[in-house]
Amino acid sequence: MTQSTQDQLQTHPAAEMYAREYKDGHLDRREFLVRATALGVSAAAAYSMIGMSPANAAGHRQTPPMGGTLRIQQEVRVGKDPRTYDWSQMGNLGRGITEYLVEYNRDGSFSGILLESWEANEDATQYTLNVRQGIMFNNGDEFTAEDVAANIRGWCDATVEGNSMSTRMGILVDADTQQAIEGAIEVVDSHTVRLNLPSPDITIIPGIADYPAAIQHRDYIGQDPLEHGVGTGAYRLAAHEVGVQAVLEKNPDHEYWGEAYLDRIEFVDLGQDPAAWMAGAESGELDMTYETTGDFVDLFTSIGFEVSEVTTAATVVIRPNQNNPPYDNRMVRQALLKAVDNQVLLDLGMAGRGEMARDYHVSPIHPEWADVPAIEVDKDAAYALLEEAGEADHVFEVISIDDGYRRDTTDAYASQLRDAGFNVERTVIPGSTFWNDWTNYPLSSTNWNHRELGVMILNLAYRTGVPWNEAAFSNEEFDSLLDQANGIQDADERREVMRRLEEIMQEEGVATIPYWRSLYRHYRPGVINAEMHPKFEINPHYLGIEA
Amino acid sequence: MDPLTWSGSLGPFLNPLMLGCVLVFVAAFILNIVMSLIGMRQAEPIVNADHTISYRLGAPDYMLLAMKWAVFVFLGAIMIYILGGILQPSMEAKGIIGGVGAQFLPVWISLIVIYALSIRFKRRLGLYGKLFDNLIGMIGFGLVMFWVLTAIFAPMIATHGPIDVISGLRNDPPGTPVSGGPEDAFPYYLLGGDALGRDVFSRMVAGAREVLTIAPLATLFAFMVGITLGLPAGYLGSRLDTFITFIANMVLAFPVILLFYLLVTPEIIEAGVPVYMAAVLFVLPIGFLWVLLYSRFRAQPHIIKWVAIPLVLLLTLFYLGTVFRFDPIVWLATSFIGYLNQGNPVGEWMQTTRDSYEPLIGINIDGNLLIVFVSVVFVNSPTVYRIVRGLVLDIKTRDYVAAAQTRGEGPWYIMLWEILPNARGPLIVDFCLRIGYTTILLGTLGFFGLGVDPESPNWGSTINEGRRLLTVYPHPPLPPALALLTMVLGLNLLADGLREESLKD
Amino acid sequence: MGLFILRRLGVMLLTALCLTFIVFFLTNLGPNLEKLAKTQGNNRMSDAEVVQWLENRGYTRPLVVRYGEWLGVAPGWTRVAADGTETGRCVDRGMTIETAPTFCGVLQGDLGFSTVSDNEVSAIVGGRLALTGWLMLIAFSVMVPAALIIGILAGMKEGSRTDRTLSTISIASTATPEYVSGVIFIILLASSTAGLSPWLAENGWIEGRTLFLGSSRSAMEDITFWNFTLPVLTIALYGMGYIARMTRASMAEVMTAQYIRTARLKGVSFRNIVLKHALRNALIAPFTVIMLQIPWLLTGVVIVETLFNYNGFGWTLVQAASNNDIELLLSISIVAVIVVLTTQLISDIGYVYLNPRIRIS
Repeated sequence: MTQSTQDQLQTHPAAEMYAREYKDGHLDRREFLVRATALGVSAAAAYSMIGMSPANAAGHRQTPPMGGTLRIQQEVRVGKDPRTYDWSQMGNLGRGITEYLVEYNRDGSFSGILLESWEANEDATQYTLNVRQGIMFNNGDEFTAEDVAANIRGWCDATVEGNSMSTRMGILVDADTQQAIEGAIEVVDSHTVRLNLPSPDITIIPGIADYPAAIQHRDYIGQDPLEHGVGTGAYRLAAHEVGVQAVLEKNPDHEYWGEAYLDRIEFVDLGQDPAAWMAGAESGELDMTYETTGDFVDLFTSIGFEVSEVTTAATVVIRPNQNNPPYDNRMVRQALLKAVDNQVLLDLGMAGRGEMARDYHVSPIHPEWADVPAIEVDKDAAYALLEEAGEADHVFEVISIDDGYRRDTTDAYASQLRDAGFNVERTVIPGSTFWNDWTNYPLSSTNWNHRELGVMILNLAYRTGVPWNEAAFSNEEFDSLLDQANGIQDADERREVMRRLEEIMQEEGVATIPYWRSLYRHYRPGVINAEMHPKFEINPHYLGIEA
Repeated sequence: MDPLTWSGSLGPFLNPLMLGCVLVFVAAFILNIVMSLIGMRQAEPIVNADHTISYRLGAPDYMLLAMKWAVFVFLGAIMIYILGGILQPSMEAKGIIGGVGAQFLPVWISLIVIYALSIRFKRRLGLYGKLFDNLIGMIGFGLVMFWVLTAIFAPMIATHGPIDVISGLRNDPPGTPVSGGPEDAFPYYLLGGDALGRDVFSRMVAGAREVLTIAPLATLFAFMVGITLGLPAGYLGSRLDTFITFIANMVLAFPVILLFYLLVTPEIIEAGVPVYMAAVLFVLPIGFLWVLLYSRFRAQPHIIKWVAIPLVLLLTLFYLGTVFRFDPIVWLATSFIGYLNQGNPVGEWMQTTRDSYEPLIGINIDGNLLIVFVSVVFVNSPTVYRIVRGLVLDIKTRDYVAAAQTRGEGPWYIMLWEILPNARGPLIVDFCLRIGYTTILLGTLGFFGLGVDPESPNWGSTINEGRRLLTVYPHPPLPPALALLTMVLGLNLLADGLREESLKD
Repeated sequence: MGLFILRRLGVMLLTALCLTFIVFFLTNLGPNLEKLAKTQGNNRMSDAEVVQWLENRGYTRPLVVRYGEWLGVAPGWTRVAADGTETGRCVDRGMTIETAPTFCGVLQGDLGFSTVSDNEVSAIVGGRLALTGWLMLIAFSVMVPAALIIGILAGMKEGSRTDRTLSTISIASTATPEYVSGVIFIILLASSTAGLSPWLAENGWIEGRTLFLGSSRSAMEDITFWNFTLPVLTIALYGMGYIARMTRASMAEVMTAQYIRTARLKGVSFRNIVLKHALRNALIAPFTVIMLQIPWLLTGVVIVETLFNYNGFGWTLVQAASNNDIELLLSISIVAVIVVLTTQLISDIGYVYLNPRIRIS
């Protein structure tokens, strides 16, 4: 039942429309790939639609030699139910054991792993998922459509504490039962699953490519794969000591469906301090970093590591929480935005590594980005606003985590406010306690990872009442426009709605969003397929090392 | 504007001279060692015909002389740099060394005045005066006074504000001209900028003030607590002694760092633990003062009435205001008004009073600072207690104590007015050492990021922030590190000098 | 003597009890439990969920009862959830309340469960302690001889130039905390861009990129000269000065004693006086200091293990404390108390043994 890519090419008219737009210069290559592949067109087909060869594409991987051991510097955390993963590091460790249906590539396209292919109907209300044939779990069971359906049902279970997949699958969740809507997940045959959505949603495929969407055996849903060890991946866990190290080794009792090159992958936890990673690299204790930040980008390069860079929509959000006075006053929030020069935050916080942003959470690399100009920096006007609001005496306590660029950016933010005449106090909370209360701090900074589409992040963080709405932002117009945008497939049409959404974010002074980060990763020469991923993903199956 | 050079206009003359001094010193040092190894003797005494003794100097002695002079010339060159910095008008001519030297002008003047006066009157100044007979002690005292005076004159010395950011000067090397800051700002970052574009020199100077307020004050409190408990434990002995010693040993058995990790967290502050600890620790000095005054002036009721009671009451008010943010005067007044207004339950009143009225006296200490302070006092006082107890056990067998006992003096009088003054020597020495230890301890807290204000110029946290990028930008952490080293070294040398001089008694 | 040791053991037990109770109290304060619930369960739990989480795991019962459970003098809690799953303090995975033991505490040899490492405490502490043991052992074997030699040389001729130089060196070493010296060592000796290493590598005198390794992670498996020198040096330097000064003071005092003067007048050579007569008596005081130095070095160990990424006892302490890992912290404090009090005991016994003039009553 393997479908050729040619079939899919003809199945989706919207993708063809995108291809025309690309050729007319309305879309850039990246945007085209995101949109076309999200509709089920394979990356290879998408490239051919615009007359490019996939071999030239940025996402194309080399074939490494077999064997070898690779040591990756990465935090080693406790294992748990994948749905509740709250760190991409957890996904990276689990990825050797439990794989994903779909993956998001460096170039912005999507390609299937456990799915052979997928198609969406014209108005994006029905998705057909074609499950790859011949995949076995390492306990001997075959991987079928039942497993996929069971996993999706599990993702939709909103009663599970901390299940972040239920937000991504929001459209499929019945608000009353907190479970998947009856009939929404349909097993067509042993290797086909159909999703019937009540309303159009273009974020389903990006949602199932994210790190909490690891595919478990149907009997083990809700359990920790690091503990039961059942999955389709080529590796098994050989050692796991939280905060110290974790070791994946090739599972000799399991016939893996694809290719896996390395014999052994060691995740080395050197703590949170980049200086310690540097010392580890100089002592020859690691071959690759999870991420390199700030001044350490140059430092790692200077000791002969190779650098890989990717531009993303990852950022730091410094937001007032509107449940805390005086931030319920719009004038105060606007004063905060007006007082801060984002360029300074980019220079001081990131050493200029990235693009300046404009205080709304949609980046130019998102397909639906609308070119809304930045708020003009005017410190006097900001202070005047603050005085008008009667809060000139308020002491602004700016909170951040005690770590690298987030701390530096927030320090720079505090000094910008101080320059404008605000009374500012800085508080730094250690990493171990910061996240306990991150959505409730009155004024704090949070780092946000890259999301594939602009609407996704707005749904996740700025819709009324969603768990990650750290700004406690609630605006009816915003919510209804966002609903509207979620159903618009065409990026140009969506852009019009998005323009207003971006403007609302600026007008309401929701948050200071100073820059879009470039992400960096370093690896020893000879490490293959370890390029930086916009979502920090590391797939052990692709990695290799030259002898 | 060009960046400043290190040595300014004097550089071309003085740098070769200083280099020469270093070379001479090293060469002489090596030669001296070689000569002693091959058995050449140092100065041999010759008895002259008139029964005086003179020395015949050998080659090793000339080497030592050369070393001595090299050091003198080197120090002289530094002096000239500083003088040049003060006297020359333009910053380019001063250079970085001269510029920094010139900024410290108030410190130099005060140091010269202090030394001149102290040496002139050293015979009348007791133990302090004797310090000036001892080279080690003098050097130590000089280092300590340098930082104390820096702390006092910090606003005059610093060229910029400790948290003023000029974003263009991020990680810039020493001597970079300032651009992009306020108009009237000092035109250079003398020791460069740190990772956030703040002036390293000014932060170091401001840090001196911070370190020199907390460390000595915390040590002083630890001493008051230790003395208040150690005196009765040592003198009265029995159960009391056993009990307090057990507690002290228990605190000492606690690894310091574990204690800090348990105490200095936002959660503990939230739970109010520091307030309780402060309530216990800070009440002891007040009790101590009362007993001190009462035991001495028991027979003179007018002193008790007009000095002791008001003083202790004032301190109690201060204590209540500082620790509990509670002021009985305000409380009583408001309660009275509340009573007049009727219908307002007293319990509610207490709450609103405490919330809405600032105490008239008492310092509003930030929770973080309070917990750091209390923890440092808590860790230090058991050691002080043990020292005091040991001293008391020794001194109480002396004749003058027995004499006081036969005179019929009360135990508190004997403890405070007979034993304590005689134990002051070792205690002063330990006090100096302990300030150094406390400074290191505060730095350790900064190293682990515990309880410190993130923007604070505190040396410990500045070192920790700078150490990450030390390989590329060594200039931000080195000045505070050297400051910490010299200050602790100074305290240690001072303690050594004091010990030597007090032993000569 | 036997009675003396027995009494000291009693005191040790009492101290350990009091200390663990204090640790227990501090780690079980409301905000700390909330932090624990949120790190273990989920960052985004609501207050009601936190209470529920704590209740399900037995954290809401009275403090003293739970301390008793930890000690093993009170029966462990049990709970049957609405869906019939049985949980309890002593109920391990795959057990039911029936099959699980009633008591499981320190007295039964069960140190509890570490929440941060997701493992039994006993499985963690032992290995980490061994790692730190090696670090301490090597640091001591460098520090003590160096300190004694410096101290004796300085104290031999009090006030001489050697004395002045060595004393200043030892004072300077006590004034250099680990977090300063460690950083300086890394820069000078273990950085491929600064210090000595680039120069050495350029000339081809060292094989690797750096002279020493700035991270001691590899030493956890295999201690070598290159990966262990810097942490050992950092610890030894700070501790050395203090012992050296004690030795110097003790030596200087002995050298002024009557019997030394007599020996000198009798014409015994200076070398013999120092080696045969002065040394033994001069070493009594430093011995006690050295023993008491062991617990004092623990802070240094914590800093060094953090700085050099050596996952030993000190590193575990930082991890446990910053994650409010209650039972791991309790075990750490027991170990700390035992170390401190045992060294005190040894120092007392040794003092008596070395100095026949003192007899314990």
